[in-house]
Amino acid sequence: MNLFRSEEHARNWDGYDEAMALANMAVTEWAEIFSNPFFKERSRPDYVSWMRSEDGAAAFTALRRRLPRAQTQ
Amino acid sequence: MIDTKLLDSGFASIMSQVIATGQAPHFTELAAELKIDLATGRELIHELVGLTPGWVHPGTDYLASFPPFNLQPTQYRVSIDGEQGWYAQCGLEALAIRWLVPGCNVRIDAPCLCCGEPMTIEMLDESISLMEPTEMVGYSSAEIGGDAASRPFR
Repeated sequence: MNLFRSEEHARNWDGYDEAMALANMAVTEWAEIFSNPFFKERSRPDYVSWMRSEDGAAAFTALRRRLPRAQTQ
Repeated sequence: MIDTKLLDSGFASIMSQVIATGQAPHFTELAAELKIDLATGRELIHELVGLTPGWVHPGTDYLASFPPFNLQPTQYRVSIDGEQGWYAQCGLEALAIRWLVPGCNVRIDAPCLCCGEPMTIEMLDESISLMEPTEMVGYSSAEIGGDAASRPFR
């Protein structure tokens, strides 16, 4: 889970896997994904309780929907 | 099994110490802070990393990663209001550090793993105020949220 200077730089990285090509995205897109409440709520004093609440479960479901998945051939 | 209220307290205690110092407490220090016995403190550390995308150094009780931060240095150097003292777990979690320090300028400096040339991002709350180069991308070679055992090795 790394940053690269451009899409081409990511593709040229020796750890690049074409199956995860959908995970090669602009930083602004990743920043939006990492703005999910799962990340924003980390400073609350009851974070674990919140994660286990309906709100936490809903946030986690929404997060998983946004995450790129591996593409099979 | 640790009860949820203690997990809440443990998570908040570790996070506040990492934000303040860039370091995580040892389980003995966490136990003293929360006034619990040492065995419970140790168990608490392991349960918390099981609940989050963090990890202990493999085979130890030492917190190595408590996202969005890493306790072991990574290439993602983090400065908060001009003070460099933290590391991000990864390039993507680096983007979430700002939520823990509202009203503070968060700067990420890292080399590109392809060419070694520098990259910089600055963020303040909802705003990304600087991104150099502007074509910068994030990439993960594994599905995020995958096998917990592989986290330290991705």
